[in-house]
Amino acid sequence: MSKSYYVQPSQSGGGIVAEKVDAKVAYIDGMAYPIKEGESILAFLRRNFGPDFVPTLCDAPNLEPFGSCRVCSVDVAITANGSSKAMASCHTPVMPGYFISPHSERIQQLRKNIIELVLTDHPLDCLTCEVNNNCELQTVAARVGVRDVRYPEGKTHTNRKKDLSHPYMTSDMSKCINCFRCVRACDEVQGQFVLSMAGRGFDSHIVKGAETSFFESECVSCGACAQACPTSAISDVFESKSVVFDKKERTVCTYCGVGCNLEVATVNGKIKSIQAPYDADVNGGHTCLKGRYAFAFYNHPDRLSSPMIKRNGEFVPVSWDEAYDFIADKLIEIKEKYGPDSIAGISSSRGTNEENYLMQKFIRAVIGTNNIDCCARVCHSPTAIGMQRTFGTGAATNSIRDLKVTDCIMVIGANPTSGHPVTGAKLKQVAMSGKTSIVIDPRRTELAKYATYHLQLRPGTNVAVLNMMLYYIVKENLEDKNFIASRTEGYEDFRQNILNLNIDEMEKISGVDRELVRKAAIAYASAPNAMSFHGLGVTEHSQGTFTIMLITDLAMITGNIGRPGVGVNPLRGQNNVQGSADMGCQPYQGAGYFDVTVPEYHKKYEEFYHAKLPNYVGLKIPQMYDAALNDKLKAMWVIGEDMAQTDPNTHHVVKALSKLELFVVQELFMTETAKLATVILPAASFLEKSGTFTNGERRIQRVNQVVAPIAGTKSDGQIIVDLMNRMGYPQPDYDPKWVLEEVSQIVPFFEGVKWDELGINGKQWPVNKEGKGTPILHVDTFKRGKGKFVYNDWKESEEIVKNGKEYPYIITTNRELEHYNCGAMTRRTGNVKIVTDDVLLINPADAQKHLINEGDMVCVESVRGKVDIKAKITDEVKPGVLSSTFHFPDIMLNNITSSISDSEAMCPEYKVVSVNIRKSKGEYKKVK
Amino acid sequence: MAVKLLLENAHVEGIRYYDAYRKHGGYRAVEKALKMTPEEIVEEVKKSGLRGRGGAGFPTGMKWSFLAKPEGVPRHLVCNADESEPGTFKDRYLMEFLPHLLIEGLIVSSFALGSNTTYIYIRGEYDWITDILEQAIAEAKNNGWLGKNILGTGFDCEIYVHRGAGAYICGEETALIESLEGKRGNPRMKPPFPAIQGVWMRPTVVNNVETLAAVVPIINLGAEAYAKIGIGKSTGTKLMSACGNINKPGVYEIDMTISVEEFIFSDEYCGGIPKGKKLKACISGGSSVPILPANLLLKTAKGESRLMNYESLSDGGFVTGTMMGSGGFIVFDEDQCVVRHTMTLARFYNHESCGQCSPCREGTGWMYKILKNLEYGKGKMSDIDLLWDIQRKIDGTTICPLGDAAAWPVAAAIRHFRDEFEWHVLNPEESQRRNYGLAHYADPIHIPVSA
Repeated sequence: MSKSYYVQPSQSGGGIVAEKVDAKVAYIDGMAYPIKEGESILAFLRRNFGPDFVPTLCDAPNLEPFGSCRVCSVDVAITANGSSKAMASCHTPVMPGYFISPHSERIQQLRKNIIELVLTDHPLDCLTCEVNNNCELQTVAARVGVRDVRYPEGKTHTNRKKDLSHPYMTSDMSKCINCFRCVRACDEVQGQFVLSMAGRGFDSHIVKGAETSFFESECVSCGACAQACPTSAISDVFESKSVVFDKKERTVCTYCGVGCNLEVATVNGKIKSIQAPYDADVNGGHTCLKGRYAFAFYNHPDRLSSPMIKRNGEFVPVSWDEAYDFIADKLIEIKEKYGPDSIAGISSSRGTNEENYLMQKFIRAVIGTNNIDCCARVCHSPTAIGMQRTFGTGAATNSIRDLKVTDCIMVIGANPTSGHPVTGAKLKQVAMSGKTSIVIDPRRTELAKYATYHLQLRPGTNVAVLNMMLYYIVKENLEDKNFIASRTEGYEDFRQNILNLNIDEMEKISGVDRELVRKAAIAYASAPNAMSFHGLGVTEHSQGTFTIMLITDLAMITGNIGRPGVGVNPLRGQNNVQGSADMGCQPYQGAGYFDVTVPEYHKKYEEFYHAKLPNYVGLKIPQMYDAALNDKLKAMWVIGEDMAQTDPNTHHVVKALSKLELFVVQELFMTETAKLATVILPAASFLEKSGTFTNGERRIQRVNQVVAPIAGTKSDGQIIVDLMNRMGYPQPDYDPKWVLEEVSQIVPFFEGVKWDELGINGKQWPVNKEGKGTPILHVDTFKRGKGKFVYNDWKESEEIVKNGKEYPYIITTNRELEHYNCGAMTRRTGNVKIVTDDVLLINPADAQKHLINEGDMVCVESVRGKVDIKAKITDEVKPGVLSSTFHFPDIMLNNITSSISDSEAMCPEYKVVSVNIRKSKGEYKKVK
Repeated sequence: MAVKLLLENAHVEGIRYYDAYRKHGGYRAVEKALKMTPEEIVEEVKKSGLRGRGGAGFPTGMKWSFLAKPEGVPRHLVCNADESEPGTFKDRYLMEFLPHLLIEGLIVSSFALGSNTTYIYIRGEYDWITDILEQAIAEAKNNGWLGKNILGTGFDCEIYVHRGAGAYICGEETALIESLEGKRGNPRMKPPFPAIQGVWMRPTVVNNVETLAAVVPIINLGAEAYAKIGIGKSTGTKLMSACGNINKPGVYEIDMTISVEEFIFSDEYCGGIPKGKKLKACISGGSSVPILPANLLLKTAKGESRLMNYESLSDGGFVTGTMMGSGGFIVFDEDQCVVRHTMTLARFYNHESCGQCSPCREGTGWMYKILKNLEYGKGKMSDIDLLWDIQRKIDGTTICPLGDAAAWPVAAAIRHFRDEFEWHVLNPEESQRRNYGLAHYADPIHIPVSA
């Protein structure tokens, strides 16, 4: 039976013609090629002959080999002319001395027959198919040369019903070829397990959830399946896989700090669809529904398209010149009348590095004040300060790719599967893989459900729980003594303080069983490589900075610093929080984090900007409100931040902003804040401009303009430059290239950053003169020399001390996967069809106590105000704890949040608010 | 009277229960084995020449020695009781009447392999046997043969019975493992093999019921004595489940030295064909092994008498031979239609294909559809070639052997009975009224068919 189809050596191989079997080579058509350990035959063939050498159907770049289509089969013999066997090359490891005939006659026949069989149950409507000319089945069928289908007519599945239930995802299972790529993408990439195969054999068919629709299922709309599907069986409403596009441009997502690369297809200057490039280091072919699908905001009719000046309480559209003149005149007038410190600027972490740099330059060099801050204040400012104090650098120590090598993850105060979906999916995969995972969070987040240890603490007790962990590490003698001795300082005092900890009290106040904390501490300390991640559940507390320092203490005491798979890794909230801080958008440090009060640096900045600069610290955002209320601050220029909706204690904020003489708001939409403006400047979105974003792992990536700014708008960078020119500080037109060059001269860790050399995957700072980036910080020494141990005692939040008795519940804010902060963008996309409003998470016990049913309106009242929110009864929160989001202006949750903020960084305490609840009498009303 | 190692006490009253089983020498193998080292037991099994009784006939001792033993990682033994091959029912018989024999074999094997948690994955339709096994396990546990610190040796072992949910594919060891883990029963890619990563990604041995039961006599008799029974590499005894056109269908324990002819015609075994009909063909080892016409069944191509053992049955390869397989022995008399029978099997494999690999998912469906046309007088001559072509593209090209199992019966039917297929095409109407009959299939063979 077994006949050799071994093909004689070809002359064109480029390899060495082998005499005898060598230990480290395998033969392709008789020519020897070196093999790599652990490589599949497919990878071996592709490495030598290119990606299209062997046709495949079930193989995908970001999925594990699966071996179901068998199209990749090749003939393999173990002797030169020995009998060969057809083997699926994708999952068969290549072995030394294999004689591989990738295209023998038998194999070609086999491939042709397989495709022929597949075509018997596939509609032949290629010309009208969405993926015509970009269909892998079509390509493979063409390559193997199927000319007719020999099988008689029979039952097929070509009349299955389409699923058009979802705002984004679509499916037409008539086109399904059962390759399992969507199922694997859902499992391996996103980890959502929505798609699966039901039935068997000829009856095999893909189902969503328990045979439901995309919309009804647990689908998170990441689109991984749509991108993975080789045909149009699963796709999306934007027809991302169709070839109807003029060009594709690569850029970086504007939503969270993960920094996914996007490939944006345009038609006639309009965006058609977005896909995730497989060669992106950050996201490797994956992204979330915000990155992939939530782009419709960019040409939404609500986009502001003309500068406007408020006259007699009404916004009147004006020309750019008129607006510029108005602002410049007013700023000069106020500066002369009240001095430069009566003016403040709030830059935007949504903007590019270049724009942030220019904004702080404008405020410092043109206006002459250090009153510059940015929205990092309300999110990761404690991270920057805390990590600077202990390590010397306020940035993630490691890279996300380290998740592949770590042994233990600890996620504190972060809900990455919603907030940072692509990193969240990777973390979830790590947790599901059986590696140790520790989640410290008041909510039973999605990740907590998979975690080895979930320390469900009471909001506001991070410091208590982390101190308990440190206590047990010391008690169990699990410190890395060598690391402590050689790399750190201040340990002895720290140790004494830790040992004096009152564990009984800490256990009581945090509500976490000490044994659980002990186990988690031991797990973290004994893992060969442990990596910690944290989010706003750490920073947005009155003890935010202290908590950060304890996280760094944990890393240092266990020696988890300076190598792959370890470190302290803040999950940055916005696309460019890291960058806006790097560029100097804070009142105490300029570009590159030099202290503005130190004479040496002060002088350096003055010389660099050719301007007189103040040598004292300016106002942080919360101080700006107070200054405005005290008539000290008269003018403010805000870029892309909706403080009126998102900053805590709305009444206070609105009152302050309303008092300003000049309030310039640069925005995409008429936000709650824009409504309060004196002048509104319509800005361009990230799709309409170029620059760089720095993601949460310090990766500086190129943002490339995809479409022209919509009529009447300008990029933030151009607007700032225009105003600088008006104010007598000449600058060329905005172009990221020159700005970046200027930045590289003042920011030491940008030294080798050049616009043209960033490449498709960017570089991680510090980038040295030769242009080499740094994936891991503090390898040999800390930035500040030795790492510093700092002990911090737990202190009850003033909010609870003051209001806890009268308002016994604690509400903690969170976010939904589908929406982004104030929702100005996501509410203007299909996402709003998926999540329609903010809800209040409430424990069943509390709900019962107040006779609240699912969907009832609940009145949540704090000492500052009250809001009505729809109840969602869930055990995600413990009794006594509530949680909600502030994506929708109808609710204005920040009416109740407090002005208390972190003692060091002044980051507001969104996470601990004392409230009371009762069933609301009011009917639920949606404003819009 | 042939030697009986497994079924000797099958008819003893109450042997299903512990007391009778123990009284008739039960659990002696455990007593003996637990005084040996695990390595010694593996060595004994190797020396016994025991071959896997599930179908592939792979040497059991060698399979056991492949088991990876990484430090600190538990290992598992899984008993494959997902007996679903059409024509095969020997494991059912063994478990139904001698549950303690299997339990005893499992305890010894678990000790040899270091499995503290052992599973019996049983065919879902064998629901009443699940109860029998669970009762036997409870009895064994109550009497100290299972649980913690068995016989004071420090060896702990628990056996769990897991019921399948009606899928033939779950008899394939990796699909079985997936199903056991609670997942869809799709076969896994190999490597890694179960011996390295099996249940819960831990080193695992999956053995057939009969294989594990045979460990008991190996320990009791000693490997050498066991190896003396049988012939060549077919040592020990084999259970055959005989069915089809025979006078005495049932489960027989044979010692693999008897001829096929004796097995079919002697009164000790199948007792001949009813009503004096003639033998047309036979499937000797479960539905997936090649069907042989009477002439090739009783004599090999060399003209020797064919014996009921691994070597003799596979003599001549697939060209003129077949396989021992799982021991499902199906006899066809002269009234049977090979086309119809092949169609029935194709329907079965089409129904049971998991759907993972394209050739099997689509190919089994088309084989069935084409065979249906041929059987019902709607076939064309080219269909026979198409059928041959499909089976060739399924054979050896899929992740698991279900593809092969689906391809072989079709291939063998065309190989040996092509003229019966052609007769169906040429006589569409007549073929609906009568069968092709014995034709020349029992005629003596003169020239060996070359490869």
